Parts: sequence; structure tokens; C-alpha cells
Amino acid sequence: MLVPCLVVFALFIVWPLGKSVSLSLHGSDLFGRPDAFVGLQHYRDMLGSAEFRHILWVTFAFVLLTVIPGVLGGLVIVLLLEQHIKGIRIFRTAFALPFAFSVASASVIFATIYNPAIGLANGLLGRFGVDRIGWLTDPSWALISVSITTVWMSIGYNVLVLSAGIGAIPAEINEAATLDGAGGWRASRHITIPLLGPQLFFLIVISTIQSLQGFGQIKILTPEGGPEQSTKTLVYSIYHTAFANNASDFGAASAQAIVLLVILLVCTAVQFGVLERRVHYK
Amino acid sequence: MRSVRQRRTAIGASLLAVLALVAAGCGSSNNDSGDSGSGGQDVPGADALDKASGVTKITFWHGMKGANGEAVDKMVKAFNAAHTGKIEVTAVYQGDYDETITKYKTSVQQGNTPSVVQIYDIGSRFMIDSKQTVPVQSFADKDGYALDSIEPNIANYYSIDGKLNSMPFNTSMPLLYINKEAFVKAGLDPNKPPTNLDEIMADAKKLTVKQGGKTVQYGFNAAIYGWFIEQLIAQSGSTYCDNDNGRKDLATKVNFADEQGVKVATWYQQMVKQGLMPNTGKKTDDAQAVFKSGTSAMHLESTGSLRGYLDAAKGKFTVLTAPFPHLTASDSGGPIIGGASLWIDGPGHSDAEKRASWEFVKFASSPEQQAAWHTGTGYFPINSKALDLPEDKAWVAQYPQFTTAITQLHNTKPTNASSGCILGVMPQARKASEDGLEKAVLGTDPTQAMKAAADSIKPQIDQYNKTVKK
Repeated sequence: MLVPCLVVFALFIVWPLGKSVSLSLHGSDLFGRPDAFVGLQHYRDMLGSAEFRHILWVTFAFVLLTVIPGVLGGLVIVLLLEQHIKGIRIFRTAFALPFAFSVASASVIFATIYNPAIGLANGLLGRFGVDRIGWLTDPSWALISVSITTVWMSIGYNVLVLSAGIGAIPAEINEAATLDGAGGWRASRHITIPLLGPQLFFLIVISTIQSLQGFGQIKILTPEGGPEQSTKTLVYSIYHTAFANNASDFGAASAQAIVLLVILLVCTAVQFGVLERRVHYK
Repeated sequence: MRSVRQRRTAIGASLLAVLALVAAGCGSSNNDSGDSGSGGQDVPGADALDKASGVTKITFWHGMKGANGEAVDKMVKAFNAAHTGKIEVTAVYQGDYDETITKYKTSVQQGNTPSVVQIYDIGSRFMIDSKQTVPVQSFADKDGYALDSIEPNIANYYSIDGKLNSMPFNTSMPLLYINKEAFVKAGLDPNKPPTNLDEIMADAKKLTVKQGGKTVQYGFNAAIYGWFIEQLIAQSGSTYCDNDNGRKDLATKVNFADEQGVKVATWYQQMVKQGLMPNTGKKTDDAQAVFKSGTSAMHLESTGSLRGYLDAAKGKFTVLTAPFPHLTASDSGGPIIGGASLWIDGPGHSDAEKRASWEFVKFASSPEQQAAWHTGTGYFPINSKALDLPEDKAWVAQYPQFTTAITQLHNTKPTNASSGCILGVMPQARKASEDGLEKAVLGTDPTQAMKAAADSIKPQIDQYNKTVKK
């Protein structure tokens, strides 16, 4: 029974991984074919370069700027949607809607909103007398703008997952709480949020992985790593080294991919080690 | 509580998912490149196709979408109709220029290259070094086919030592676009457009309109686009890279940190600093949107944008065109005429296929097809005889703005500077120059910014040259 599973595992995971490791130890010719064996040269070049440290920093900042607002924002929206007011279904649908957008179309729409001269964002700010902001052209804003787009795109999914979680909380628990005099925020804090633990944990792990792998919106909104490389994350850098502008340094790109793999493994392991202990499973 | 085993499975599954996602992103490559036999780059005689039995099928990869893609399909259809039972071309759109060259590289690795491929101008050096193609000149020499109706300025880009490597196909030039009403309102004569950067700055000051401290109309705007740097340097009569723009020998360094490149960066910096131009970044779409909305009075873009601008401006303002500006008043150079060209693949293709490819390439560059191409897309016809055809004349009469491009092309004397730099890592060099220009726009000293950018590309040039010379 185990054999077909192992074959698939070996074919689609072990073999490509082994190939990546092997590529990362070789130089690349004009077409990206591996040529001379260079040992750990790519890793040495990468870890010794200031640019790579900058890339890691951007990657880390991007994760923080997308995971925390994305999950917290989703939670706040879901708690608000619990209110029993008329037309709440419309809001539920509206908030879950971004989930249905493709990365490309969302990015293109945001690009027009962010246009410094004629975009909607600066137009609105201008009415309040705020100066024009270079959303995607100012190095101190570019990563924030890309993160806003990313959060907007991920929040719909977060809302869906958390709504399902809330729906699964037994009604009698809430009734008991109401009888005991806990309503509104206290009920949310002591009943709803703890019981959403498994969903929140799931979202944090998944969002972190997605964020570390985020690519489409970064490439479309800020080509070439953005102003002064301010949005050059690790995944973008892998693409840039391997494919962009007729580059074909698959060796160095593979070395970066291996580093990304290690980072993802460590992050996920830490999340399971630290966070999962606090999660209350029914 | 969940059991320990369940938890382990969950952890294991998550870790596997991570592994799989990362591994999937890394791709893999095959080691064998197919045969690159000694005869791969040789030219077969015309009889190879005559003797071939049945239909010779060839594939054509291109990077044209939208209206341009439709024009390609129309051309291929016309070719197939004219060669029924003998040759059949299948055109495949492979994404933009960058994606096309990336896919082409993969096809070389896998040993199944297309018969004909359209590659952007700055990929030319790479195509030569790939040793996968048969020079167009070799076919022409073998057949005694005259190439003299190809516009000399265009042929110049794709020639090394007077030998044409690939057939020019679609060509565009940069122009200065003008919003006529904005000029009239500011009391400027739209028929006397600025001719160099200093004049643009002077006019931009008059054309920038502020209301209540907010700019409602910018005097000028352009993307942070490396192509413009290349063009302005060529306009000044200087070369972009050493060894005569890489035509005498492999280029070993770029010159955009010299006086001319620094002048461009200083000018961009000043334009933005003085509020005469918005910084819309490197994306040309964003800069185009500003001009199309009527928010900018002057604008740099390719001739290829003319049709789109005329449509967007309809009923709002009048679009005029002027020659691309010179760097300084004393410049005597001209713009580089690039675009993309068609390359015929040799290794891995039969002699009949190579001949069929040549037939297709000749067809694509014929006056009739180039006139159809020109009127259908707005690209410049690479065949000078196309401009004499009645349908082309009618088109130019309808869009007189295009005459600027024709005059600009014919006024340019072919020199090493105006033929453009041919460099293996030219796409990366262009991006590096954009990084430098952007740094300057954001406030770094222009000399330092351009020097850092030029230095950053040096290792890649060295690496490329080392790989090629091996």
C-alpha cells in the first residue's frame, strides 16, 4: 500500500529537491545548464553579501506586515459580523469577496489606485489636504503598499475560515455565558477567541508560508524589486536570479531556494513548537 | 484532545507541504542539448525544400499580443495560403519578449527549438553566442538575394561586420509626445517643440499648472526607463558600451556612468525635484496613464504607443509628436533603431525546414507584408519600399503624427553610436541603468548613483564573456 505513495513522494519531492541541491553546487552556462562544480561557492557569495541580508530583512518585514494585519483584521471583521443586524449577509459576502480575486487582477487594480499623479489613493488624500505619496515609488512606502494589497487579498480567505470556526461553536456555550452576564467584548475575549484557536493557528501557519512565497503582487506592483530594492523578497530574488532579464543563473537561484526551504521549515517548526501548545482543541 | 499520532501526522503533512511547494518552485533542467552537429549552422541549398516531399512544417515563436498578435496571425495565414501543400507555419505566442527568450533557452536545453523565433533587440548578442541560428546573411549570399531594401538604420542594429544576423521585423523609435491644447494655453507654439533636455525643462516650467498648491498638470512625464537613457546617449553621439558598442569585440563595460548618462540622471532628478514631472517609477504603463489622462503636457514614449494615445485622447486633447530630444543643443547623433528581429534556427532542424524558415522570413520582410504590419500595428516598416505602397501612404496621411518617426529615421546617419550596444547581458544592463536613474530621482548624487549602477553590472558582463569564450 505504501509503495505508490513513496514513488510519488520520491518523484515529485525527493528528486526535485536533490536536483536543486545539486544545481546549487554548480555554475551555470548561457542556457542555465549546470557546468563546473563550484562546491559551496554560491552559498558563500550569498551569505557574505550585504544585498542578501537586505533581501532577508525585506522578506521578514513582509511576513510581519502581511500575517499580523491579515489574521487580526480577519478576526475583527468576523467578530463584527457576529452582530445581529439587518443585511449582515451582504457584509459577510462583501468581506469574503477578495478571496475570489486573482492575484493579477487585484494587483493591476491596486496599481491604478496607487498611481502617484492620477491614482485614487492620492486623489482622496488630496481632498484632506495631505500631500501626494509615492505609494510604489517611494522606498519607504513601497513595501507597505504591496503589503496592503496582500492583506486585502488574503483577508477574504481568513474571514471564511474564521466564520466557519465561529459557526461550529456550540450555541449553548454562548447562552451559558450570556446567562452569567458575559456579553459583547467579554464573551468574544473569553469564549469565542479561545475557541477559534485551531482556526487562528491554521491561518497563522498558512499565511506565513504564503507570505514567504508571495510573488505575483510583488512582481506586478513593483517590477525589479521596487525602488531601491525595497520590495525584493527572497522568492522574487530567486525568480530574478534564475529568469528575469535573460538571466539564467540557476546555480545561485537554487542556493537561494534551499535557503528559503530552510527558513520555511524553521518557521513552521517554531510555530508548531511554540504556538500549537496554546491551541485548545475540542 | 487530539491524539499524539494525529498531531504528528498533521506536523508531518505540513512539513511535506512546505517541501513540496518549495521544490516545485525550483524547477529542473535537462543536461542534453540535443544535437548541435557541425552542419547545424550551415546554409542548405534551395533544392532542399524543392526535393522535400509533402508539407514542410515549421514553428514560429513570437511575443506579440493584442492587435499586434492579430497582425502576426494574419500574416502567417497569408503565408500559409500562398504556400499551400508545401509549407505550413504554426505561430505560437510565448508571452512578452522576456518570456519568449526564457522559453527559447529552455527549448535549447531540451533540444527542440522553434524553426523561427522573434527576439528583442537587446537579446541579439545572446542569440549570436548561443550558436543555434543560421545568419540571414548566409541565406541571402547563397541565393544572391538583395537585402538593400531593408532600412539601413535598422539593418545596422542587427549587423556585425556588415553581416546581417537576423531579419529585422518590428521596429519602434522613441518620440516626444505633446499635448497641443496644454501648449496653446501656456502661450507656447506647439509647432516649435523643445529639441533638447534643457529646452524641455524650460517649457515644462511654463506648462506646469498648480491650483491651491496642488499640481493639476505636470509639464512633462516619462517612466524611469533604461531605453530612454540608451536613446539619449546615442542622440549625443556616444557609445553605450566599450569596444565600439560591442561591435569590434565583446563589450567589457558599460558607459552610462560617463558624462552623458550622468547628465540624464541629473536632469531627471531636477525635473522631479522642481515638481515639473511626477515620479511614476519604472513601470511604463503608469507613466503612459498620466499622459493619456491629459495630466502631463509632454511625454517620452515609443512610436508603438501612438495609436493607443490617439484613441485615449479622442475628444479630450490633441496628441502631437516631435523628434526625440537631444541631450544638449550641440548634439549631432540620432536615436537607436531597435525593436525585435526574426532568427532562423539551425541545429536540430532539417535542411528543408531551414529553407522553409528562410522563405517565411523573406515573406515577413516583404514590402506588402511590412505595409500591412505598419498600418495594423503602428510599428515602423523595416522595408523602405513599404512606405511607397498606396495603403501605407493612406495610413500615414490619416495619422500625420507618424511622419515624425519617418523623418527621424531617415535623418539619422548610421554610426556605431546609433546602432546601439550589443552586449550579452544587455537586458540586465538596462535594468541596472534604471536602478541608477531611480536612485538619482530619489535624491542620491547622480554621479554616484550611475557609477554604482555601472559597477553592479560589471561582474555579470565578466561572467558572461568568460562563459562565451570558454
